[in-house]
Amino acid sequence: MSAEFLTVVALGGLVTWVLKTAFIESNQYLRLPAWFSHALEFVPPAVLCALVVPGIFKGDVGLVRELGAVAVDPRIPAALAAISVFVLSRRTILTLVVGMVVLYGAYWLQV
Amino acid sequence: MQINRPSQLRARARQGMQAILPLLPGIVPFGLIAGVTPITLGYSWLDSLLGSLLMFAGASQLAAYQLLGEGASLWVIMLTVAAVNLRYLLYSASVAPDLAGASRSARWLAGYGLTDQIYAVAKRDYPAHQWDVGERLAYYAGGSVTIWLLWQICTLAGAIVGQIIPVFWSLEFMIPLTFLALALGTLSSRAHQVAAMVGAGVSYLGIDLPFNLGLMAGAACGIAAGLLTQRWRP
Repeated sequence: MSAEFLTVVALGGLVTWVLKTAFIESNQYLRLPAWFSHALEFVPPAVLCALVVPGIFKGDVGLVRELGAVAVDPRIPAALAAISVFVLSRRTILTLVVGMVVLYGAYWLQV
Repeated sequence: MQINRPSQLRARARQGMQAILPLLPGIVPFGLIAGVTPITLGYSWLDSLLGSLLMFAGASQLAAYQLLGEGASLWVIMLTVAAVNLRYLLYSASVAPDLAGASRSARWLAGYGLTDQIYAVAKRDYPAHQWDVGERLAYYAGGSVTIWLLWQICTLAGAIVGQIIPVFWSLEFMIPLTFLALALGTLSSRAHQVAAMVGAGVSYLGIDLPFNLGLMAGAACGIAAGLLTQRWRP
């Protein structure tokens, strides 16, 4: 067990539980303002896209860490392929599979 | 007519389970990814399982794991977890009247067990029936416990697979791929598309800033850009 990991998931669990339980517990005296529900609509696209970027452009993927760097980071063609597949098919699992296959393929083509 | 209460509640729990069944296949791959990614970052199967037990919220688990791998500070991780899970505040407010009158421990457990899936089926089925709060809780428990069990089993399975699969398979890359698919699935209007592009763009510009400020700024600017677009060019 890792103390660092445990701290993160314990606090993360507490934050999550508070958000999930807040209104179930205090429905009588808490109300959500209207602007909040409006803003909430844009949280998933904004936050998820902001998260995707470092996942693609920051650090190195396991492949590169273990087997050495190549000219074009294989994550970039993999992400572009994943975007195309999802836009065309709207199938999440297919998107994941194609993304991983293109990641391996793009790396292999360059070594 | 005499109603047999325990068998009535069992029937409701079974209804909750049956309502959730069609939604289960969609949970499996995410559970496996949530299980495998802590392993790819060098943590143990027990860490992985504790993550799913304590957090029990897929997208925010993946966000926390990715940021942990990037060496982000605890504050940044908690802010991101809160942002990813903010929608639960809405669910919580919406389901609260249905669970009013339940005991405190039942309400706290119901909060822990709240997911996109149980919320969706409960709000569909509650208005169609004249159930009392006990019956609604039994239905909720039947569905939630099923999802919860599957989530933990998939996490363990993912963690075991992760210990066998070597690092160069790069399974951690499934986190950004998952977020990519989830994000693309939310682009239902021009305003949502603007929110996504601004979120990604600002995050990219700020990628080398300390304390993951690029991520935070991207999220904030993206939300603001979505709101502004909706107001002026709906």
